[in-house]
Amino acid sequence: MNWNLFVTELVAGISHGSVYALIALGYSMVYGILKLLNFAHGDVYMVGSFIGYGILGVFGGATNLSIPVWALLTLMFLGAMLGGGLLGVMIERFAYRRLRNAPRIAPLITALGVSFFLENAAQLVLGAQYQSYNSFSWKSPIAFDHFSLPAGTVISYAEVIIIVGTIVLVVALTLFVQRTQLGKAMRATSFDREAAAMMGIDVDRVIVATFFIGSALAGAAGVFNGIEYQQVWPYMGFTAGLYAFIAAVVGGIGNLPGAVLGGLTIGLAQSFSIGYISSTFSDAVVFAILIAVMIVRPSGLLGRAAVSKV
Amino acid sequence: MSTDPTDPNAPRVGVDEWVASHEQRRTRRTGVLGVVERELERLPRPAFYLGFGIAAALLPAVSSNGYVIDVGLNTLLYMLLALGLNITVGYAGLLDLGYVAFYGFAAYGYAMLASPKFGLHWDTLAVIPLVVIATALLGLLVALPSRRLIGDYLAIVTLFFGELFATVYQNGEHVSLLGQFGAHDVTGGPNGIPNIDQFNVFGARIGALNYTAYYYVALIFFMVLLFAMYLVDRSRTGRAWKSLREDPLAAELMGMPVNRLKLIAFACGAGIAGLAGTIFAAANTAVFASEFDFTSGLLIIVYAMLILGGAGSLGGVIIGALVVNVSLEVLRSPGHATWVFYVLIAGTLVARMRPWRWLAVVVAGTAGFGFAVHAIVAAAWPRGVHGQAPIGGALGTGLRHWVVLPSNPMTIGNVAFICLVLTVLALTLLHGWVQRLAMIPTLYLAAFVWENRLAVEPSVTRLILVGVILIVLMNARPQGLLGTSRVEIV
Amino acid sequence: MVRKFGLIAIAATVVVLAIVSAAAARPAAPAAATASCSSGVSIGMQAPITGPAGSIGSDQLHWASFYFTQWNKTHKLKIHLVQQDTQLDPSKASTTAQALASNGKVMGVIGPAGSDEVQAVAPIFKKAGLAFASGSATRVSLTSGAWKGYFFRDVPNDGVQGPTDAGYMMSKLGVGSGSKVMVVDDQESYSTGLADIVQASLKAKGVNVDRESVSQKATDFSSLIAKVDSATKVVFLPFQVASEAQLFAQQLQAQGKSAVAFGSDGTFDSSKFTVNGSYISFFAPDVTTIPADAAVVKAFHKQYPGATSPFGAPNYVLAQMYANAVTKACKDHKISRAEVRKDVLKVSLPSTILGGPIKLTAVGDVAGAKFHIFKIENGKYVTVA
Repeated sequence: MNWNLFVTELVAGISHGSVYALIALGYSMVYGILKLLNFAHGDVYMVGSFIGYGILGVFGGATNLSIPVWALLTLMFLGAMLGGGLLGVMIERFAYRRLRNAPRIAPLITALGVSFFLENAAQLVLGAQYQSYNSFSWKSPIAFDHFSLPAGTVISYAEVIIIVGTIVLVVALTLFVQRTQLGKAMRATSFDREAAAMMGIDVDRVIVATFFIGSALAGAAGVFNGIEYQQVWPYMGFTAGLYAFIAAVVGGIGNLPGAVLGGLTIGLAQSFSIGYISSTFSDAVVFAILIAVMIVRPSGLLGRAAVSKV
Repeated sequence: MSTDPTDPNAPRVGVDEWVASHEQRRTRRTGVLGVVERELERLPRPAFYLGFGIAAALLPAVSSNGYVIDVGLNTLLYMLLALGLNITVGYAGLLDLGYVAFYGFAAYGYAMLASPKFGLHWDTLAVIPLVVIATALLGLLVALPSRRLIGDYLAIVTLFFGELFATVYQNGEHVSLLGQFGAHDVTGGPNGIPNIDQFNVFGARIGALNYTAYYYVALIFFMVLLFAMYLVDRSRTGRAWKSLREDPLAAELMGMPVNRLKLIAFACGAGIAGLAGTIFAAANTAVFASEFDFTSGLLIIVYAMLILGGAGSLGGVIIGALVVNVSLEVLRSPGHATWVFYVLIAGTLVARMRPWRWLAVVVAGTAGFGFAVHAIVAAAWPRGVHGQAPIGGALGTGLRHWVVLPSNPMTIGNVAFICLVLTVLALTLLHGWVQRLAMIPTLYLAAFVWENRLAVEPSVTRLILVGVILIVLMNARPQGLLGTSRVEIV
Repeated sequence: MVRKFGLIAIAATVVVLAIVSAAAARPAAPAAATASCSSGVSIGMQAPITGPAGSIGSDQLHWASFYFTQWNKTHKLKIHLVQQDTQLDPSKASTTAQALASNGKVMGVIGPAGSDEVQAVAPIFKKAGLAFASGSATRVSLTSGAWKGYFFRDVPNDGVQGPTDAGYMMSKLGVGSGSKVMVVDDQESYSTGLADIVQASLKAKGVNVDRESVSQKATDFSSLIAKVDSATKVVFLPFQVASEAQLFAQQLQAQGKSAVAFGSDGTFDSSKFTVNGSYISFFAPDVTTIPADAAVVKAFHKQYPGATSPFGAPNYVLAQMYANAVTKACKDHKISRAEVRKDVLKVSLPSTILGGPIKLTAVGDVAGAKFHIFKIENGKYVTVA
């Protein structure tokens, strides 16, 4: 067995899956509370990626980096998470809030409208060109600094940053949801919005917080994507959002560990089918696997079977 | 209990009594308008459909313009698609995100049976029924394993199916069966299947590029299906579907064959999409897999049409497709788009601004504000007013003396665009006279952004506006233009 | 019902007005009709301005529109550009082609961008008597004669590029029978067409070809690169996006593979594809580095800040060709589509921003087209063949 190939595919799959997982978390959180498929979520990820790119431009200039790499990375993440979070809150406030009690499909179409708007507004303002994080000369180009494992497998620092960063964010999110008052309010609202409101939980505040956190995670995913895969362009959110949506549902929508598991499943399925089956039909293989998963476990890998209350 | 569906007093399935009757409690309009309105209401629905059919049939007589006919044909194809989706989503309430794959499957089916690709040139009368039935069967096949899935899980499985279809067809140029029999070119891969035969019936053939003929073919099919759906709507099956949509559990308890109803809805929807697909393939003479995947936006457009018109409403299918597709085409031309933009703003102001004196204040204020800004900029920074107005004509000349047009508007226009978005959002949070006063600079800013940035990039602007229209319309009327508002019964 | 009927009435009025205005504003133009030149001449433009291929299309639009903006500053005869967005979708291309064909003011068309789109619109433009020219459709069969006199292009076709690239790999890069080349297409028709030609040329010489393909939407190639073995000498990348080739080449080096990346004309961008030791083929020298073009490129970037793509500048030249043809046709103050069609095919430009002269063959291809091979050294493109 080709050990080298296996490890490379594994690491690539996990790091790619981490990006999906972070976006999928936001999808899942919003779904859990509002039962809304927020198709504009992928575009928040795109905006986050562009914010990171902009911050890189401010401090990197075209020639040299004026601050250390770790400081730059911190700034990029803070900027992208804050910007993404605020954008998410704005989308909720202006596009979705009036539709809370509307038929379920109405906010879905609104979300598509928001997605159209964001993608094309980004093209208008930023141009349609592919931008690359790498077209700035980083003093220490972490994207392609790499180290070798004993067997000769090469792993880039960016992949390490993605994987470690995702773990940190997911642990922080879990602690937040399990331990803090707001997190508990979120779980209560997700369980039964009306009962939560009756128990004195400020549902509006909970929803705003959910959108902020979910969108901030998408913003962070945008920066992760940028440092590893480099490219940023206005339509990047569409495909990523689609895969993240799939990840969220495969894991069991509304279920946070499920979203992470779903993201990793898709990332690994993609990279192993490229490595071992066929690059041409890798997407087809992924979709075929997923259809099988859904048929065997209709409510997702970690989802609970829906019990309808009468 | 009598359930004669034509009896207006009979309880309607899926409609809350109080909501359904709330129109009767409203004050009626008086005067001529009121009379016209009441007369219109008394007309049976089919009269409206017939009226639409006659108007549509006259279009080629009014205009011989190839573009107009082509847009008409596309709109009819969209209507067919929306009509099929209306069964699955509107009646049965099944969220089918792989719907466009059925359309693509049928288009490819027609292309394979009637093109030089495999040397087959079958008669249209044989191909269409065959392909439509095959597509309906495919629909059944997709629905079969997913029948026990509910809500979003069904959505995701159908989405997978749609993407699977697009991926396989996009890469189907080197297909080998388990490594045997060598590589075969089945779907043409990214190059699609070109040179598809025109419709021919008993040797009579529609000429190439004869969009008018296809327009009538599509119109006839659509009208027939529309009346058929009108009958289904009031039939046993139609009512069963709607009850299934409203409350699957209650429907099951009432002894309805829920699974069978779902399968039928899926297959019927797929079959109609299949019919539209064959017409598309023949009229377009070539098919490409990329036209049917999720990123092509076709699915989104059809959903937008259905929901905008009002899911479950047949008239809504017509209105939704017309509004979405015609506005998409009208916005292509920067001249038309500019008129639409200003007329929409003016219309909204006239319709919503009360009392009238405030309207006068805002309009006069905006005009005065504009001339003042123009004068100040002209004095302080002459290059700021030397730009080109993007459109000519009376409107363009008039605007040049009012809107600031910098000679290099790119950067400042982009900043102004972001400011405009933020200002408009902020306006929705304000109330009373503050909001009205704040409207004056906002309106001017809107005109500035339009002239300097949006009108210069009409292709991008068009999609931005479609996004805005979707958001605004869904917020204003969540049930769609012709939909029935429902109340969640807890 | 009250609000419903109000809404129907509004929607119906809007639709009727739109249809009537569309019908009235664009009288169907018979192919032979002549028009006056005094109010200016319109040239149509079809490109994927929005959507996933927006990076190519919007750049094409900008270059063509830039030429006419400059032209209108210095010439009495004004030329207007009428843009139509195709989103790289052949059926949208044919609808928008109808719009241009029935617009009596349009005398010639630049675009569409993709080969499939060209095939879709060709019958429409032929019927309308319009010349149309692509700055990026490179499929060989487009100029096989079916649309002679109507279609032309100022980029050499894949039949020139494919064999040139395969030949260079075998003569200079040590590829021979027994060694291996990986060919990766991006599942678009440009890419698969070119990949097929290169694959066939290599296989004919006994070279092992590992044909792979990745979706253009993919952003990660490390899974694929893990499959590159030590026998592989070259990885051929006929991509449309330069930064994807860049990422591929970087990951190739990072994983310590000895194979070199070889990009096609779609990846030619000296600001984005910069991995040392990679090769690239293109039909012209780099626009952004030709000294004679510096002023043009600077003015372009002033109007449209940001990067440019390899298929942008050819549209500037197409605009230039139309401007010449329109000027000639307008000598008698009248112009017709037939005149433009005849004149534009005869235009011969002694020098263009593409670094060489442009003259068309009878079927509408560039005469004497050849491809240059570049090697990337310290981020600079050095001509090696």
